[in-house]
Amino acid sequence: MKILVSIFILSLVSLVVDAHHSFPAEYDVNQQVSLRGTVSDIEWTNPHIFIYIDVLDTKTGDTVNWALELGGPNQLLRLGWKRDSLKLGDTISVQGSRARNGKPLVNAENITMTATGKRMLAGSSRESAK
Amino acid sequence: MNKSKSRQFFRYLSFLFAFVLGNPQAFSQWIGYPTKGVPRNADGSVNMMASTPRLASGKPDLSGLWISDITPDGENSPSDVFNLPTSRFMQNFGVDMPEGLPYQDWLNPIVQHHTDNLAIEDPHIRCLPDNFLRAYGLPHLLKFVHTEELMIVLNEMNVGYRQVFIDGRVLPEDPSPSWQGYSAATWEGDTLVIETIGIRDGTWLDWSGSQITEQGKVREEISRPDYGHLLIKVTVDDPKAYTSVWSVTLKERIVVDGELIDEVCLENERFVEHMDMEY
Repeated sequence: MKILVSIFILSLVSLVVDAHHSFPAEYDVNQQVSLRGTVSDIEWTNPHIFIYIDVLDTKTGDTVNWALELGGPNQLLRLGWKRDSLKLGDTISVQGSRARNGKPLVNAENITMTATGKRMLAGSSRESAK
Repeated sequence: MNKSKSRQFFRYLSFLFAFVLGNPQAFSQWIGYPTKGVPRNADGSVNMMASTPRLASGKPDLSGLWISDITPDGENSPSDVFNLPTSRFMQNFGVDMPEGLPYQDWLNPIVQHHTDNLAIEDPHIRCLPDNFLRAYGLPHLLKFVHTEELMIVLNEMNVGYRQVFIDGRVLPEDPSPSWQGYSAATWEGDTLVIETIGIRDGTWLDWSGSQITEQGKVREEISRPDYGHLLIKVTVDDPKAYTSVWSVTLKERIVVDGELIDEVCLENERFVEHMDMEY
């Protein structure tokens, strides 16, 4: 029960987030993607943090570098993140909305650390969808 | 550096070192740092309905960290610092008006254009400052620092500020337009009445691209009925942009145990690049 309540609260939290830009213009909420990859770069910057991960395309065997857009530092710090919550080489799973332009770009909604199973909200700007 | 000054310097350095070691919070962000003077209920929760803080003059003290109040009536908790909401007025200030905002004919197609293209030309996206009316509804903390003769509003977004003078000065006669305009205030009972003019032509008020022009006059009537809430009645008189004067009342809710954290948008804004647009 406690887990269900926690998930419910996390869901509510994820709906009340930053709104720097026009989310629906850039991302398609109907194109939900789940990725698993290795962190290759981190830009801890405003107004959005970007995390880059190398993802193996099992169909082609190629490795694709995906960009993950998160909320800004103040938002993530308030969500409990630290600058070093993720490190280069970490393996993570991410769920989010894909960019409409077809590029390997995702607006991340949550990120799970493979090593610990810890799931963290990513400060998605999905709330501003209109 | 002579010996005396040298000893003084190292004494100071030792004190600083000891202070930092003894205070782990000195290393961390000030998220969760307890706000002073917060009225509490017996169970430790914040008493949002506690009496209004007051200045030495007896007038309400509007100081505090504020964010849009979107809670249902009857819910009386402060806003969590990790849970900053966006006001529905940010979609369009006329959201509660049956006919919408009374746009002049020239402004109607502009608002329609911005609505249709999902506001991709929004100045906010291009990291330009938000006018104070818009700032009331965005998910960025505002900090009111209120003294008897001056109120400063700090905005963590783009490290912005606004000055409201309560020192008896009159508004300038021919102001050079600016992002926040020129604001002077007086008290009407316990309500702070702020008059603002001199805002830049074409300043956006919401995601729809509702605008205010250089002719615009904004009146804010701000009251703090209790510890935890602000009511802001906004009246916009801008005959260049609107066919009639319009008013809305905004609600703000206190945030405790939090602090402003800079968000300088130009640091790494990528939306324009991702959209293959140009500045």
